[in-house]
Amino acid sequence: MQPIKYVDALNEHYGAMGNPPYRWTVHETAPLHRLTKPLGECTVSLLTSGGVSQCVMPAFNADARNDHRLDAIDHQVAADDFQIHDSYYDHSDADSDINCIFPLERLRELADAGEIGSVANRLWSGFMGRIYNRSKVIEESAPAFADALLQDEVDLLVAAPS
Amino acid sequence: MYVATGRDLAVLVKPPRVLFVNAPMGNNFGAVGDSAMQTSVLRAALSMIDSTEQGGGLVDYPITWLDNFQFAPGGKASSATANSTTAISATDGAARLGESR
Repeated sequence: MQPIKYVDALNEHYGAMGNPPYRWTVHETAPLHRLTKPLGECTVSLLTSGGVSQCVMPAFNADARNDHRLDAIDHQVAADDFQIHDSYYDHSDADSDINCIFPLERLRELADAGEIGSVANRLWSGFMGRIYNRSKVIEESAPAFADALLQDEVDLLVAAPS
Repeated sequence: MYVATGRDLAVLVKPPRVLFVNAPMGNNFGAVGDSAMQTSVLRAALSMIDSTEQGGGLVDYPITWLDNFQFAPGGKASSATANSTTAISATDGAARLGESR
């Protein structure tokens, strides 16, 4: 099937609630940084924006707006130690198998096989959808996240939005 | 690397490296218990670190999801049973992506 046209679908969905069309961030270009070492020597981390939290943590607000919460998740956490609260998408599959959106077990296997150097000490969940105050992302939340990745000496981040 | 299920959204925002997976939102790496596909998608994403020549590069992951799915906030996106037969990934194509590392 053809890819879903989310821009149109979202405008229709929220327009029906009386909201004006969303002004999407549009970039004409993107930076590209190249690695200076092979993948087999790289430290890799993960980020999900799918309302995923460890069971010991408070749940995300499924209907949140402008939630800049970002949870650090220990890289050794059990794959069944998660809860998902997000009204924005269908997470029934990920409820059963977190690897559908946050493939921490698959990443560990690649590390064990030597395909990547290591899994970062901290994996991440946050930047849940519907953040409208994008200047706060650009000026505060994203730089703080980048600093955390640098602290962990992360070479690569695999980000999976939901 | 950005593993997206929203192709039009990724094209607008233009992260440096995008792997588009034409699967329901919430199944970026595939179906429940399908560790082969989950690994394949992850490998394909990681391979882009070397194969991407220009910032904003987008690769379409070779996949056929077995039913028509939909944008479903708060609902069910796909009527297919959530098991390893839900999605078919073209593993040959994914392997070629991996070989480009």
